[in-house]
Amino acid sequence: MRTTLAWAALRRHPMRTLLAIFGLAIAAALLIDMVMLATGMRASFRSLLTSQGYQLRVTPKGTLPFDTEASVGGASALVASLRTHPDIDRVSPSLGTTVQVSIGDRATSAFALGTTAAVQGEYLLQGGREAAVDTVLREVVVNAAFLERLGATLGDTLDVGTERSAQLRQAGRRAQVVLVGVVRFLYVPPGLPAMAAPLPALQQFLGAAGRDRISLAMASVRVDGRDAEAQLARIEAVRQWIETEHPRVTAISTETAIVQVEERLAYFRQLAFILGALSLVIGVLLVTTLVSLSVNERLGELAVLRAIGVPQAGVLQQIMLEGLMLGLAGITLGLGLGLVTARWLNTILRDFPGLPADLDFFVWSPEAAWKALGMLLIASTVAGAIPAWRAARVRVAQALREEAVA
Amino acid sequence: MRLRFLRAPHVALLCCSLLAGPSLLGAQTPRDTVIGTPTVPLAPGRVAPSVRGIAIDERIAQDAGVRVGDTLRIAAEAGTTGEPVVVDALVRRSADPSEVARSEYRVRLHLDHLQRLTNAIDRVDRFAVAVRPEAGPSAVDSLLAGVNHVAFGFRAHASRDVAVESSRTFQVVDRFHRAIGGITIVASAVFLLCILLLKVEERRRAVAALRLAGLSRRTVALSVIAEAAVVAVLGSGVGAAIGWVATLAVNAHYQRVFRTPLTFALLTPRIALFAVSLSLVLGIVAGALAAWRLVRTPPLTLLGR
Repeated sequence: MRTTLAWAALRRHPMRTLLAIFGLAIAAALLIDMVMLATGMRASFRSLLTSQGYQLRVTPKGTLPFDTEASVGGASALVASLRTHPDIDRVSPSLGTTVQVSIGDRATSAFALGTTAAVQGEYLLQGGREAAVDTVLREVVVNAAFLERLGATLGDTLDVGTERSAQLRQAGRRAQVVLVGVVRFLYVPPGLPAMAAPLPALQQFLGAAGRDRISLAMASVRVDGRDAEAQLARIEAVRQWIETEHPRVTAISTETAIVQVEERLAYFRQLAFILGALSLVIGVLLVTTLVSLSVNERLGELAVLRAIGVPQAGVLQQIMLEGLMLGLAGITLGLGLGLVTARWLNTILRDFPGLPADLDFFVWSPEAAWKALGMLLIASTVAGAIPAWRAARVRVAQALREEAVA
Repeated sequence: MRLRFLRAPHVALLCCSLLAGPSLLGAQTPRDTVIGTPTVPLAPGRVAPSVRGIAIDERIAQDAGVRVGDTLRIAAEAGTTGEPVVVDALVRRSADPSEVARSEYRVRLHLDHLQRLTNAIDRVDRFAVAVRPEAGPSAVDSLLAGVNHVAFGFRAHASRDVAVESSRTFQVVDRFHRAIGGITIVASAVFLLCILLLKVEERRRAVAALRLAGLSRRTVALSVIAEAAVVAVLGSGVGAAIGWVATLAVNAHYQRVFRTPLTFALLTPRIALFAVSLSLVLGIVAGALAAWRLVRTPPLTLLGR
């Protein structure tokens, strides 16, 4: 009965109801988007960092992985030391540098990464095969941007050079390499030509600049049946051990890396919070205004309901039901609208220079999204409570007299 | 490295710099403000003093309690002894948006000092070349073409191209802001339209009374539209004032967080005018829609008879 009455009240003014639903839908869409933005970056970055199972990154003191060209010497001893720790499962050392690559008359600069194929967590093989383990630079795997920039294909032989001398007009170090595989680098920005080769081969190729040096070592801490907190504590203990034992390096855990990235992108999280709060306020204001006006128009009708014996609670419930119905319809529409706009906004932000291709800003997080939408639904229902309370307390005789006079 | 072709007649200034890691910068960026005694470039032929002078970020000075005249040790690699240096100057970073999110410290050294410290003898990362103003814009293009024709292992770029490339971050942020702005405008427009329609509809009885008293449909419609327009303008005026207060809060917060004099939010007269105009248009549209519905309905129907 109450539901029927609430539905009838909304149907009486279809345009008004439709506009209110549309307004709520936009508020809900904005709220969904902002929740996805606030939680998505963290979730996406965590997923990216942990995708290969490494929880610790060891870098030259005070730097972030590959944020600079800094490297650390005595790499063999460092890696061997890390491997002695009982909680460290595997270690993946890598060295990054910039090289010049040419094939025929086409040339480009490329990011070169020296890795150990068996334990590397930097790329995924998409075609061809891994470069053979070697101490001389002979084979490389490259990304799609590399192939596109040079118009090269698998099996091509390329010239790789470094330490170019402007006076001598030749590269100080040169090598001819065969392109044997196509890979997708997990942490390299899209569009940047990149290649990977066995670590000893790249170190040897760079001469003194690369001898026994690495830019990064990723370490995987053993996972057992412990709960998440105990696991985090174990990772933190290993991180502290590394920094104590090796003062030349900084050990960064996934948690620390997320905090550091969040600091750099704090603006987006705060913007999401402000706009999310604003959309909630808009939703509440919209429902309050609509229900208030609706109640004002129907004071006589509500007085009649009270006069024929409908209790105060009944009137209260009927009017709050109107807010709930508006909220449900608006949120359902807003959910679809929000997912579409989130995809569009994500496309815009993924153009950020220097970010990995797999990093998303808007990620659907069911728990956070349902919480936010539930909050909007409760807010829109409660928003109708004040006018509903006023309607329920209407003085029957006075309202009927005023209605008759009007 | 002798780059004689850069010593062209129209080249006014040649500045070399070397970046070592995130925090060591050889040479000085003129945009930043030097507080205290600036480091004096080493004159040709002069022997460098045994303890060299450096300039440090104002941030390090604040965080580590370092002052001009203090002696520090500086090394290219952590864990090595390094060498003593004297803090000659403090540098306050300019309001550069590209650096706002980077919180690392910076130390400035003379180029030869950094080259020696990092074992990068006779190496630089970049040259900045200033062309004489009287040479005209074509001189930049001809210099670029000349350098790139003979370049090997490096490439020359016009500052305008570098600016375009380095502003890509802000282009993305700008596009994102526009998209969010568009969504917010649509949300506000629907909200405003809804409120104004409801407000006008609330006056059904008053409008019916006016019609029954003999006022023409046109007069009634114009009064309804005028009322909606006034409400919209007053509302947007209050909104602009709230927005202005919000910009003050946003700037104070982010300037403190990022330790920069950069202005993050700005309410310009153009933006305020746009907001008021948009509200006015929406108010008039909402008023016209509601008025059209009201004047088409017979007065007795409006009264519920």
